[in-house]
Amino acid sequence: MDNQKLVFTPAPHLKDDLTVNQAMRDVIIALIPVSLVAVYFFKFYAVFMIAVCMVTAAITELVFRKVMKKESSLGDYSALLTGLLVALCFPATAKWWMGALATFIAVGIAKESMGGLGWNRFNPALFGRVAVIVLAPIIMLIGTNFLLVPANFGAVDVVTRATPLAMLKQGMEMPSIIKLFVAYPGGAMSEVSPLALLLGAAYLFYRGHIKWHIPVSILATVAVLALVTGQNPLYHLFTGGMFLGAFFMATDWVTCPITSKGRLIFGVAIGVLIIIFRVGLAPTEGVAFSILIMNAFVPLIDRVTKRISYVDPRLRGAAAPGRERATAKG
Amino acid sequence: MEVKTFKDGGAHVPHYKSFTEDKPITRMDAPDEVVIPLSQHLGAPNEPLVKVGDKVEVGQKIGEVDEFISAPVHASISGTVTAIEPRPAYTGGEIMSIVIKNDGGPQEFVSKEKRDPDKMTIEEIREAIRDAGIVGMGGAAFPTHANISVKKPVEYLVLNGAECEPFLTCDHRQMLERPYELVEGARILMRSIESKKCRIGIEENKPDAIAAVAEKARGYDGIEVVPLAVKYPQGNKDQLIEATTGKYSIRGVRSADVGCLVRNVGTTIACYDAVVHGKPSMERVVTVSGPTVPRCGNYIIKIGTKIGHVLKECGVDDLNGYKVVLGGPMTGMAVADLESGVVKGTTGILVLPPDMVREEVAYSSCVRCGKCVDHCPMLLYPNQLSIYAEAEMYDELMEWDVMDCMECGICSYICPAQRPIVHLIRMVKPTIRKMQRAAAGK
Repeated sequence: MDNQKLVFTPAPHLKDDLTVNQAMRDVIIALIPVSLVAVYFFKFYAVFMIAVCMVTAAITELVFRKVMKKESSLGDYSALLTGLLVALCFPATAKWWMGALATFIAVGIAKESMGGLGWNRFNPALFGRVAVIVLAPIIMLIGTNFLLVPANFGAVDVVTRATPLAMLKQGMEMPSIIKLFVAYPGGAMSEVSPLALLLGAAYLFYRGHIKWHIPVSILATVAVLALVTGQNPLYHLFTGGMFLGAFFMATDWVTCPITSKGRLIFGVAIGVLIIIFRVGLAPTEGVAFSILIMNAFVPLIDRVTKRISYVDPRLRGAAAPGRERATAKG
Repeated sequence: MEVKTFKDGGAHVPHYKSFTEDKPITRMDAPDEVVIPLSQHLGAPNEPLVKVGDKVEVGQKIGEVDEFISAPVHASISGTVTAIEPRPAYTGGEIMSIVIKNDGGPQEFVSKEKRDPDKMTIEEIREAIRDAGIVGMGGAAFPTHANISVKKPVEYLVLNGAECEPFLTCDHRQMLERPYELVEGARILMRSIESKKCRIGIEENKPDAIAAVAEKARGYDGIEVVPLAVKYPQGNKDQLIEATTGKYSIRGVRSADVGCLVRNVGTTIACYDAVVHGKPSMERVVTVSGPTVPRCGNYIIKIGTKIGHVLKECGVDDLNGYKVVLGGPMTGMAVADLESGVVKGTTGILVLPPDMVREEVAYSSCVRCGKCVDHCPMLLYPNQLSIYAEAEMYDELMEWDVMDCMECGICSYICPAQRPIVHLIRMVKPTIRKMQRAAAGK
């Protein structure tokens, strides 16, 4: 037996099965229940919006990476996931090109221009969604003057209903809690069924991709503060982007703190901001804004919650001996 | 007996111990030729005491050097010295070695004496261990006599029977088959470091070994078996100390000064053999394992036996695309040259088939999943360290305590982005060490 081609690579020589692609695919799978409920209510409008966004996401990522002379990373499914998330942030009957624009901004600007997956500072899907809201006046101008082709798939009788959050704000009579939780066709596509989102989140918990710290801290904070301000906490939990935000957006690996302690602080702060937005301001995308604001604070949270090394004497109550700190500057 | 563990980090890795955990220790026939490196330990390399053409006997001392931190080497077979020259080392380079050709006669070491350790002085014990060339056999290979030459008594002797690496079972079988020698070896070491308390840590996946050793330790006040939860890297020194004694390692402080001296169980048994029977370090129990190895087992192999020879004896044939690993799969080294030999620190020879081989695949940026941070036993941020290491940002590396990394490999194992975190850290450590030395020298 002579020296046949032995593989000579460094330790460790065993590898756990999880890959980034697998994790991203799992999140897409977890969003299937709520997508199906949206399709049930909004028929082809939902399918079209989701398709448009996912295709735009893929094309945007391809183009940006090509221009930046990087390899295609479509294989990691993160673009498709971002596309799906952006679509779910829109009502099914929103103009399709607004969804496309939001996706373009999400993938092109919030993600690829920042350095690609892992380097983005803000949650790409929320960034794209919020960008479109902020640019609304300009979009209205373009929309009315250039008559972009509207999609017309026939009448859908839920189009003219007010969103549950608006109803809450205006003190209108609310549909039952059960209805809101299980299936209610109002607002964005992600709002139609908190139950479906919960099912998806349960799958992610089971696979180990998300932990309880962020969702629980967000929802608990919102519930407590809702009670404190004399409102029904369940109406808050089951309306708007709450569930999508708490389970899918705020838990995005890249844009949340890396330690459990940091994540709890993150979640509580998001919860506080959400209540401030919802109680004090117009009922639009409070969850999205809150998460994006806290995304900006993640480096600070990580620094403040930085833990010290196992062998650091300070961890055991001893004073730190003067540590030799050589610097490149000498 | 209460099951103990360490608090921070750690991960459950697959065991793969079923291949060899029930295989009793068997002696592998001595090969036709052994290649004995003159340096198999941390410390000064030895000078040869023989020359080409000399006839040597099994157990005869053939290399020595007059430095405190060193361990002599001995002939593992009887025969003739055919060469003293650089030969392949498993790391890929070459190392000065003594080559001995088997003379065909009996090759087992025959003890010429039986000493009573209770009648020996501490100095005599240390000298016996030094003379036998005993080094740490859990892989560290530090000369044992230097370790036990302490200036003041050490509170605990901790014996490492955790064997937390997958596949390896040599320590398991030694504890199960030679518990008397283990406990007596413990008593010898306890005397030499003037310790009254011994803790033998054994992972729970070895209940038979726990029972066997506990039985033998029963008569002795102060020697206690501590069952340990099965969690990697329980066998690492810091985690072992924490679980068995509740003490914590501190940066820059030797573990003896924290109150613990840690010794591998195989080394302890070898110390017994050295002190009582005068048996030098020239053969050891090695686990040969792997899903495709026809004759897996725990074999007594002569030091200097070529790895290729061992594998052939175990029925291994084609190795194209395979990886051969010396030691455990988490921290062991891939073998570059099958002509290199088994040395004193070789705990296992693993044959990993192509579908188990961890290729250097294209890895992506850190996606901040946090798994490495959750599982790092040293409470470091492996993801940050890997980013800084890639960017060669040495100040930041020191600020994030890169030198505290003990290279257990959990971060690389678990990273979904396939980042070779431990490898990146290993690559920057020499530069940091140089920078620290330069700063200290001022």
